[in-house]
Amino acid sequence: MRPTYQKETCMIFTGLFILVLATLAAAAAGLRRLALALFAVSLSVNLLTFLHHATDVLPLSF
Amino acid sequence: MNRATAITLNVLALYGISLVLAVAFAAQLWLGELPCPLCMLQRLQFALLAVGPLLNIRFGPRPGHSALSLLAALAGAGFALRQVALHILPGDPGYGSALFGVHYYSWAVVAFTGAVALIGLMLLCERQFAASGPETGRISRFARLAIALVLLMTALNVLSTVLMCGFAACPDDPTSYRLL
Repeated sequence: MRPTYQKETCMIFTGLFILVLATLAAAAAGLRRLALALFAVSLSVNLLTFLHHATDVLPLSF
Repeated sequence: MNRATAITLNVLALYGISLVLAVAFAAQLWLGELPCPLCMLQRLQFALLAVGPLLNIRFGPRPGHSALSLLAALAGAGFALRQVALHILPGDPGYGSALFGVHYYSWAVVAFTGAVALIGLMLLCERQFAASGPETGRISRFARLAIALVLLMTALNVLSTVLMCGFAACPDDPTSYRLL
């Protein structure tokens, strides 16, 4: 049986991949400042998405 | 290590990242391993890992560029470790299939940790930072292909996510493409 994860997720993943693609495209095009800004936004939104969705209690006991 | 060698290693890093994304994509297409939200977050971090090498190739090696990849790798390792912890109890079948007996998220921990170690080793070589300046116009075909590959793999992931999730909520445990 495949385990299920977390509560409902949202369409943010499509947006996140587009954001990361834009970051890479900016870096490839030589737009350094834009790439740095997009990187900061991408990483922040990735971390916030993780914190928002990582709500399952880990099956650990010590 | 001189500047040219460092740039060549950055190009190889882009090929490595493209390979990782390609393997994940191959598992998705041929084995039907649709990525869960945590899996997608890890893919995103692999793609973000490419920003440092890309900037190093375009503008010459700078410690700040490597720092970006370091941050992406640390976040990716954290996401992957979270998924490992979810399935750490004995008897847990894990999520998805395994590659050489190890699940993809466990491989991701190894890959991100390896990336941190490699970036640290690269940063030890200070001669590469001696002369910084725009590299625009001097990018080899080998490097251009690496850049194109990493962009292509990320673009394919955009397409895959749109097909899988559409413009609604992504499924927690995806089993099919919503738009196909």
